[in-house]
Amino acid sequence: MAVIIELLGWGGKRQRYFTVEGNSATVGRSYQNDVVLDDVHISPNHLRFDAVEDGWQLTDLQTLNGVEVVKNPRSSGAQLLDSDSTIVLGEGAEIKVGRTRLRIVSDSHPVDAAKELHHLERDAGKLNRLSIWLPLFLISLTVEIAALYSSSFVEWQWKNVLSIILGTQAVLLFLALFWGAIGRFLRNESQFLSHYCLILLAGLVYSLADWLIGILAYNAGTEMVAMILSPINALLLLALLLSANFALATNMLPRQRWISSLCFVMLIIIVSITAQMRSWGEFSPYPDYFSGLEVPALQFAGAESADDFIVGFDDIFASADREALD
Amino acid sequence: MIINRNRRQPDVISLAFLLMVLLLMFPSAVFAQSNSARALFADNKAGILQIRIIDITSGSKSAIGSGFVVNDSGLVATNYHVVQMAASKPEQYRIEYLSASGAAGSLNLVDVDVVNDLALVQINSQVSSQANSQIAAVLPLAAAEPAIGVPVYALGNPLDLGLTVVPGTYNGINQTSYHPRVHFTGSLNSGMSGGPTLNQAGEVVGINVSTAGNQVSFLVPVTALQHLIAEYQLRGQGLDNMALRIGQQLLADQEKKFAQMLSLDWPTIALGKATVVNELSPFFRCWGGSNRSSEKAQLLSADRTCRSEDNIYLNEKFSSGVIEHQFFWLEAGKLNPLQFYTYYKRLFSDFAAGNKVSEKDVGDYQCDTEFVAVNNLEAQPQRKTKAVFCVRAYKDYPQLYDVMFLQGTVDDARAAFISHFTLAGVSRDNAKAYARKFMGVAQWR
Repeated sequence: MAVIIELLGWGGKRQRYFTVEGNSATVGRSYQNDVVLDDVHISPNHLRFDAVEDGWQLTDLQTLNGVEVVKNPRSSGAQLLDSDSTIVLGEGAEIKVGRTRLRIVSDSHPVDAAKELHHLERDAGKLNRLSIWLPLFLISLTVEIAALYSSSFVEWQWKNVLSIILGTQAVLLFLALFWGAIGRFLRNESQFLSHYCLILLAGLVYSLADWLIGILAYNAGTEMVAMILSPINALLLLALLLSANFALATNMLPRQRWISSLCFVMLIIIVSITAQMRSWGEFSPYPDYFSGLEVPALQFAGAESADDFIVGFDDIFASADREALD
Repeated sequence: MIINRNRRQPDVISLAFLLMVLLLMFPSAVFAQSNSARALFADNKAGILQIRIIDITSGSKSAIGSGFVVNDSGLVATNYHVVQMAASKPEQYRIEYLSASGAAGSLNLVDVDVVNDLALVQINSQVSSQANSQIAAVLPLAAAEPAIGVPVYALGNPLDLGLTVVPGTYNGINQTSYHPRVHFTGSLNSGMSGGPTLNQAGEVVGINVSTAGNQVSFLVPVTALQHLIAEYQLRGQGLDNMALRIGQQLLADQEKKFAQMLSLDWPTIALGKATVVNELSPFFRCWGGSNRSSEKAQLLSADRTCRSEDNIYLNEKFSSGVIEHQFFWLEAGKLNPLQFYTYYKRLFSDFAAGNKVSEKDVGDYQCDTEFVAVNNLEAQPQRKTKAVFCVRAYKDYPQLYDVMFLQGTVDDARAAFISHFTLAGVSRDNAKAYARKFMGVAQWR
């Protein structure tokens, strides 16, 4: 039988572990020990574990700082072990010596079953190819130029268009580099092109959806449609993109990724609501009407007669009366 | 102004002659004027008062104007805009007068005519019976309108410099404004508002009201004052509810104005392929332009704007009464439909009302946007338009609104016609009738 002593790091995660063969193991700062720890608050010979029936007996070896039992399956609550006293610890108990946390288990301690690789984690890496990035990049360039061209009513000047395109691509490049750097740091792989592809894809989907929302709002004849759907489109895509970025660049579990990206989206919502709060209910001498217009080919809604339109004025007068009373 | 640089130098002899004639004529004219101005000044200065709006808390004057005594019981005429602050906030301001002889006292506001910018104030007889006796001169009101070109004299307290007389010329009732105003060639300055303009007989022919600068000034015709005095005397007492009185005057004024406008057969003029409303009356002025000669222009844009400059002063941040029409004819030119509609959308989003308001006076605009099919009388296919109608209500004057109407065609990929009007201070029924008539006239034929 072997004793496994795990050195725990931030968040209770295992950093290193020591396997000691036999029924007894000693821990301390001096080299005579089975487990040698580098912590100035640990005594040269700090403690000893001895195998007993279903557990280990821990003995403090007259130390300066003692041993703190953080978690013990055999008894509840934390307790500080005085110098030269003993306690019996169960399998998986956690203790603190000096500023170091240790966990003690046997080599037969069960571990969780393997988690299935998420398809995002499996497939996102496949985006990390020039043969995928280049077509996506060219498509998004084309879409951007087409959008600029179709909304330009002054003389077409390539230098202006170029500066806009360079501006957007610089932002996308910066984002991809940012995620690549995080991936390099946390997972030793940058996946730079994958991030770039994901950002381009999100941008394309966003533009297309926003255009469709504009047409929908125009035909519905109300700005409310766009005011509700546009932010949903933007925030949903942002959450998806962030979650994919997290999957590629970090070791987060799917649930953690979702929570992190949703928290970020919530933060954006709170900030934008706070920013708008100041102008809410402020008086404006200008009429706030829905000015959306689309080319006739994109106009599907039916029209009412001028008489019906004028009959509808009564409702507007009534709501103007209510507004003035407030 | 175009200057012809190749012009021949003027003949020296004729120039000298011209100078001599001017030298001869100018002093005699000045002499004649100043002589009669001096007499008018001396005779009437006792009846002309400086009106001071005093902030009760600080005890100092917040605004000044002029006024004049119109009967022997101490009734004083002035402009509404001079006493407006005291009219709308009696708890903050009081009205005082100061005569040229130094007599002073307090005044009570007894009646107003906002449409003609007039007010009547009464010298407080209990407090200042002594002062009352010092103000002996009652200024008589002229019974007949003077002939155009006769010299008249505006009196008042410009810029708090003391009582001043400004000689000028009577130019008749100005035809370009719905509410009649006398065009007076002379320099009125702030502080002279509410003062009288007298003919050579010393009779009041108008009340100083505004200036357009460069010796172009305006007077309220004395007939409006005569009506107001008659109304006040008939009623026999002051006003309890100033806002109610003002609201009634505004309602009655718009009722009369729109009855007149709606009864007209509206003249039309072509703008592109559309027919638009032309100058409805002399007080409705139109301007227009287009970018046809511009080489950089990517599309053709022609516009026409008509406006009645009838701002009724209600307070320093609130005016009413203006009517505005605006039309745009657009053709795509070098632009493709998507580009054309981007421009069109930008133009369409930029319309607002033409009068000045503040949050204290009106509510926020409430708007409705609909697709409206316009039926032509000539049985052509219907035109599909996007129409916007916005309304805001007046807070102090019920049943009065500012409305904004905007309509643009949406069924042609390469051309568009926008029509727009705003009405300030209109009733619900008049606004609806106006919209119906306007939509019937301003159309793409």
